[in-house]
Amino acid sequence: MKALSLVLAQLCFCAAALAAAEKPAPSQKLSDLLTTKGGDGKPVVSPEQRAYFDGLNDRLRDLLNSAADAEIITRPDHLGSILALALRPQKMEVLLQDNCVLCHTDPEVQKPETLFVLSGGSNKPPAHLNLRDLVDDVHFGRGLSCAGCHGGDPANAKLEHSFVKEWPGNGRDKNRDWIPPFCARCHSDPGFMKDFNPALPTDQLAKFKDSPHGKRLLEAKDSRAPQCVSCHGVHGIRNAKNPLSLVYRKRVPETCAACHSDATTMAGFKRPDGSPMPTNQLTEYRLSVHGRAVLERGDFAAPACNNCHGHHSAMPAGLSSVNQSCSLCHAGNASLFDGSKHKQAFEKHNWPQCGQCHGNHPIMKTHDGWLEPGPASPCYKCHDEYAKDNPDCSPSAAYFYTSITQMDRAWHRFSETAEQLAMRGLDVDPIHDKLNDLADNVKQARSYIHSFSKPVFQRVTAPGEQTVQTISKLVDDAKSKYRARQIGLVTSIVLIGFVMLALYLKIRSLER
Amino acid sequence: MAEPGRGRGVVGWLDSRYQITSLIEFLRHKEVPKGPHSMVWYYLGGTTTFFFMLQVITGVLLLMYYQPGEATAYESIRYLTTKVPFGWLMRSVHCWSAHLMVISLVAHMFSTMMLKAYRPPRELTWVTGYIMFALTLGFGFSGYLLPWNKLAFFATSVGTDLVKSVPGIGNWLLNVLRGGPDVTANTLYRFFGLHVVILPLVFVGLIAVHLLFVQRQGMAPPVGAKVAPHGMKFFPNFALRDLLLWLFCFTIVLVLAVFLPYGPGIPGMDWELGQKADPLAPAFPGIKPEWYFLWEYQLLKEFPPHLFGLEGPQLCLLLVTFLLVIWALIPWLDRRATRDEPSPGFSDFGWGAILFLIFLTLKAWDIGALQSVDSPASLKVIARTCALWTLAAGAGIIGIRFLVYRHRWFWFSGAALLHVALHGLVGLSYLTAGAIAALFAAIAVIVPLVRSRRRTATAGVAP
Repeated sequence: MKALSLVLAQLCFCAAALAAAEKPAPSQKLSDLLTTKGGDGKPVVSPEQRAYFDGLNDRLRDLLNSAADAEIITRPDHLGSILALALRPQKMEVLLQDNCVLCHTDPEVQKPETLFVLSGGSNKPPAHLNLRDLVDDVHFGRGLSCAGCHGGDPANAKLEHSFVKEWPGNGRDKNRDWIPPFCARCHSDPGFMKDFNPALPTDQLAKFKDSPHGKRLLEAKDSRAPQCVSCHGVHGIRNAKNPLSLVYRKRVPETCAACHSDATTMAGFKRPDGSPMPTNQLTEYRLSVHGRAVLERGDFAAPACNNCHGHHSAMPAGLSSVNQSCSLCHAGNASLFDGSKHKQAFEKHNWPQCGQCHGNHPIMKTHDGWLEPGPASPCYKCHDEYAKDNPDCSPSAAYFYTSITQMDRAWHRFSETAEQLAMRGLDVDPIHDKLNDLADNVKQARSYIHSFSKPVFQRVTAPGEQTVQTISKLVDDAKSKYRARQIGLVTSIVLIGFVMLALYLKIRSLER
Repeated sequence: MAEPGRGRGVVGWLDSRYQITSLIEFLRHKEVPKGPHSMVWYYLGGTTTFFFMLQVITGVLLLMYYQPGEATAYESIRYLTTKVPFGWLMRSVHCWSAHLMVISLVAHMFSTMMLKAYRPPRELTWVTGYIMFALTLGFGFSGYLLPWNKLAFFATSVGTDLVKSVPGIGNWLLNVLRGGPDVTANTLYRFFGLHVVILPLVFVGLIAVHLLFVQRQGMAPPVGAKVAPHGMKFFPNFALRDLLLWLFCFTIVLVLAVFLPYGPGIPGMDWELGQKADPLAPAFPGIKPEWYFLWEYQLLKEFPPHLFGLEGPQLCLLLVTFLLVIWALIPWLDRRATRDEPSPGFSDFGWGAILFLIFLTLKAWDIGALQSVDSPASLKVIARTCALWTLAAGAGIIGIRFLVYRHRWFWFSGAALLHVALHGLVGLSYLTAGAIAALFAAIAVIVPLVRSRRRTATAGVAP
């Protein structure tokens, strides 16, 4: 037994020694960097960073050894900032093989305007020099690092600069029209793009060129116009489905508003009618049903700016395109409107179709009160002015209003009754089924208003009114059943009461 | 060849074969103790039996339509209550009589406790009653799952999960109870089997034994009561009174079933079918068991996750087991009652237990909760409100006992009220307050015991 213990102990010792020997020890220079102490007497490389280093695989340790030995990494805080990224092995390998990144993260070599740093505490680097953003960039993740855009050889240990010929050099900050064609070198090349994301379109530049933004930038050379970087960012570009992306659905309104809500940027821009371009779109959108759905509830079925205006080919909404945009989601209402008398009337007045009643950016929730006769109703406002002589208008609107509100009130009333009957133990499933039908009828009726035709409207309200009668009968039946239960109970109590009385009398007679 | 019977007609015919005359003679001479004491408590066993009979009758009728199974249990109950004539009434009466049976049984047990009816020679009557009480809770727990609705499913998941806390065999027990690691159709089949076959068989057997004991030994008069030489005749006088009370109970059940078919709406006393169970759906917050398990549910909540090297639920289970074992052994612990002497300490122990249960149940009902029920502020308000209610109830009970029944021993009920006050009003944790109250009760019991022994010893050596 003792011998067996000794053998086991020796085996364990050997295994531990082997395991320790497997990990290559850091080179002297790297070891020095890891143990260098700061002014406070503690190692500059924090315990968390050291723990991350200890968990690195051999390949990454070798790369770090090489960088330290080649004196690309010479300072402990430089090493610390790289380890602090705590990247997964594949990404760290891309980073450690890229001398551009290693050099441009070295505070000793780089000036502030070319140094990538981690943000933290009071340290907030410019957006394009955030090291965390750089390593989270969608391009970096696919192995495309600095040289992918800027050119040069990332493996060059001499750290020499060498740019692609399209790189504009000086003056690139003032004139930004070089950016779209620069990005398009890859993004308009289907052969190149299919290796990375075959589903990504490659017509962005073509669309951009045709858009007002593109024309303003590329033809009028107006650098206020946006280009790729304005919306997607730089050195931190993320997939549009990533919540941190500037073009994530919830962030699109703010991204667009960066220019469109800025009075200085928008100064001088005019609408087709000659009026100045407003800058309150974001404020209006935030209050609208669409804005609240997207921004407050995260409901991405609702549109952001690009769903109506487009993105790379962003256009101001013209009269016809407004209707087209709305009909993409509200197809039923749009179809009814197209078949209505209002279609021609609106065209005659050159009015936007949906927007005339519902507005554009500040679209509010509609309610049945819109149909109620009175000055607050949009229907009556227009008709008083433009269709005074039409005898059908007001009665039709009043009919719509009465019909819908009657069904709606009936739904609420019967729902309450059904709840009470259910609590009394009655079977209310048939009532609920019919209530669901009625709710559908009401919903359809609200949509069928867009036909502005009484006969068409009646196609859905007639079955609705029929449903109201059916529910009324079902409710009456249920109430009768409950009454029958009560009568049955009273009868039973009377019968039992007689038996109890007889028993009581018998007991009294026995005990007398 | 059977001997000719003494009577004529059916009785004679039966007597000639089964000699039932002796049984009739026994019943004819059976009497219920009569005296200045109240006879009300003698009827509670009968009402419990009546509610059980209602359970059996309505249960059999429900069984004609109920189909156990993941795809059929909920649907069959739904069909039964909505389409089958009087199906709703059967389910409602079944549920109401179940709850009333528990109430009646609890009242019967506490009345037995207070009147010391458990004293020799009736110890086994107490034990059989005690087991029947446990089985009744088992009936409630197993029957709760059978409709396979959402609430029942999650309540059963939470309830059965407690079994895990049994040291050593917890996981094995849980698997046995659920028929697997989770609540599934297997659990439903098991609970169905328990509810309609195993528990009823054992319960009926125990009722027979319990009644046999009662018939052989008669009903116990209270300790020291002056009993009249001739009691009330069991047949027909007492039996007719029983029948009268049963009819009254039946009327009450009918009224409740018609006007409140899904229960009074109190948490833990509500049997609306609701939605079908969905094992994949997340459990919704605030799941609570039936009202008679609420005290244990709340006690579990009062325990921290770990205490004295044990898990909180394990320690809670240990405490509950200890209290239940004491309750079962009362006939042997109450030595004064054995000598037919009043034992006010045990009466007060019963009242203390009632106050203990009242406070925990009120707290489980979140009496006085603020809008966000689980916030620390709300929990404090709940504890204070429930403490005030319990203190008021305790003061009322002690007052009545002091003035009407001339009781003078209140140490246990006092300890229960001290516990409640320290927790609800002073703000100590439930367990700390409990430990102080238990220490108080222990001192109150031990000091007089030691004194009385010393006195006895002194009296023994005195010339």
